Amino acid sequence: MGVKNFINSVKESLGLDDFKKAGKKKSVRKLLKKLNEREEKILESLRKKPGKKEKKELKEELEIISLQIKKGKEILEKLNSRSD
Amino acid sequence: MLKKIFLPTILAILAYGFWVSPDFKEISAGVAIFLFGMISLEEGFKAFSGGTLEKVLQKSTDRLYKSIGFGFFTTALMQSSSLVSVLTISFLGAGLIGLTQGIGIIYGANIGTTTGAWLMAGFGLKVKISAYAMPMLVFGVILIFQKSKSLKGVGYILAGLGFLFLGIHYMKEGFEAFKETIDLASLAVGGLKGLFIFIGIGILATVIMQSSHATIVLILAALSVGQITYENALALTIGANIGTTITAIIGSLSSNIDGKRLAGAHFIFNAVTAIVAVVFINQIISAVDIISAFLGINGNNHTLKLAVFDTLFKVIGVAMFIPFTDKLVNFLNSAFGSGKTKNGKKIDSVRYLNDSVLELPSTAMAAITRETKHLYENAFEIIAHGLNVKRHNIVSSMPLEEVIQKPYADDAVDIDDFYNRKIKGIYGEIIDFSTKAQSHMEPEDIRELYKLKLANRDIVEAVKDTKHLQKNLVKYSSSANRHIKEQYDTIRRDLVELLRNINIIATTDEEDIIIMLLSKAKLHTKKYDVIANGTLDNLIRKSLITNEMATSLMNDSAYAYDISKNLIAMAGILFIDNDSDTKAIREDMLISDEDVDTILKKG
Repeated sequence: MGVKNFINSVKESLGLDDFKKAGKKKSVRKLLKKLNEREEKILESLRKKPGKKEKKELKEELEIISLQIKKGKEILEKLNSRSD
Repeated sequence: MLKKIFLPTILAILAYGFWVSPDFKEISAGVAIFLFGMISLEEGFKAFSGGTLEKVLQKSTDRLYKSIGFGFFTTALMQSSSLVSVLTISFLGAGLIGLTQGIGIIYGANIGTTTGAWLMAGFGLKVKISAYAMPMLVFGVILIFQKSKSLKGVGYILAGLGFLFLGIHYMKEGFEAFKETIDLASLAVGGLKGLFIFIGIGILATVIMQSSHATIVLILAALSVGQITYENALALTIGANIGTTITAIIGSLSSNIDGKRLAGAHFIFNAVTAIVAVVFINQIISAVDIISAFLGINGNNHTLKLAVFDTLFKVIGVAMFIPFTDKLVNFLNSAFGSGKTKNGKKIDSVRYLNDSVLELPSTAMAAITRETKHLYENAFEIIAHGLNVKRHNIVSSMPLEEVIQKPYADDAVDIDDFYNRKIKGIYGEIIDFSTKAQSHMEPEDIRELYKLKLANRDIVEAVKDTKHLQKNLVKYSSSANRHIKEQYDTIRRDLVELLRNINIIATTDEEDIIIMLLSKAKLHTKKYDVIANGTLDNLIRKSLITNEMATSLMNDSAYAYDISKNLIAMAGILFIDNDSDTKAIREDMLISDEDVDTILKKG
């Protein structure tokens, strides 16, 4: 058995690849949680009827954050489907 | 010149010595083998310094007491203060540790090196250590020929230890025989004069051998066979402690300013400790007698007493210096300022790149990252002044409109001069260093390094574009035509906003803020592009600006767009924590060009 094969089989038997993936999943979840909280705050601010300029800025942030949440969910789904 | 004469002279003296005395030949061979063993040991430890060692070093040196402990243990383990000093200089050069921590390691290494004297005095002179040397050499050399990096490393360490032991054996044998022919003790002069003569010999021997460890071992070997007296040996030990700083000074000649500062600290520490030891020699000797009696060391056992002396005077030195470490750091920072100037103005040079870290991939990468951040700091200054705004206003919470109303200068600043003094040299050195470092890296590291090179290029391009932009910016910012003035103020405001956001990105750990600001910057770059959003067409159609103004605005808008694009790309590479898991998903989380278009269409 070559050194590479040996390392791969050790990684497999110890589940080290899953460990790496789990770390990534945890990071995405953490980030998604923060993004959701931020989205909530923006919506809250929008409900308070802000000025024209501020409203424009908040709407722009909301657009960006919605896209990021969507992307985050897609990444998480992909990671989950790979570990099934 | 001196260097050219020094080597042939030493070689000639040695050749004459070998011809006159076979015993001298044996001692010299012992020293040579010992030094070769140290080189081999260094090589072995280098094999294990791929990344884990750096991380351990960073964590174990974040406090002064920790760095002293680290210096002590690593030196005791590696039996080489010079290896520890060289590694410390390289880590300091790479910016992984500060000067205070570096000095702490030097303190610790000084005490750690005394373990060599203990091993030699308590173990090496009584047991036939050459018996251990042979198997170590055989196993070591077999392992050196293996393909695996780790096995090779173990091989070098074993062979290194083998050579060290063999060297000690030859030195001892040589002195045994030497005793019959020449009596070094007859050269001894009593009193203070003798003390200084033997301190001088100690310095010279250490300078020639480039190792205080080897000198101490040599002193112990000579002392054990009665070639020198106990008092001579003490003086030689003090001399060796001064001589050892020469190794660091020579080593620091090729290193950066921090390496030179550390070598300066090393010299000041060892020289002052030696002076104190000379002044209080009688008191220290009495203390050694008391401690030796307490430890149960026989009064006539001068070799072990020498080990006690070596340890005691070094511990006194460290205890003496600890309270003044901050003062020493301040002194060194002011004494070793960066020197080069051009037309009376300071030329900035690299801070973190140091050839001694080239062979350590992760340290080299950390050094390049830090240097790129340094380059960005300079670029930030140039871009801010090019936009005619003050740096501290950009990083404050002052409203953007107000920031652009407070100019930095009445006239345009000379960006070419700034570029030549603060960008060109550093950029060139980063690229040169990266190319050299690449040859020691794995493909994955090379990919990361490529991104860093791109970040550097982005910074330089942004500065160059600022130069082009500045010409009309100064002209139209004070134009009587309010429409063109408004447009140029908008360009300034948008770029100031971007610089402010990059500053936030650089200083926050919150990933959501980082990706939000980067995405926002990307969106704004396109949103405020006067060509894309139709502003320019509108101004021309309504004849609000002249044709000349329109051409300038079109070109400058393109420059501003490029500056933004380059700075956003740079920030995406440079200011995201390299170790974070989010780094891997960062690119997927940032909004794409298509997303930008979608948002703009909705707006």
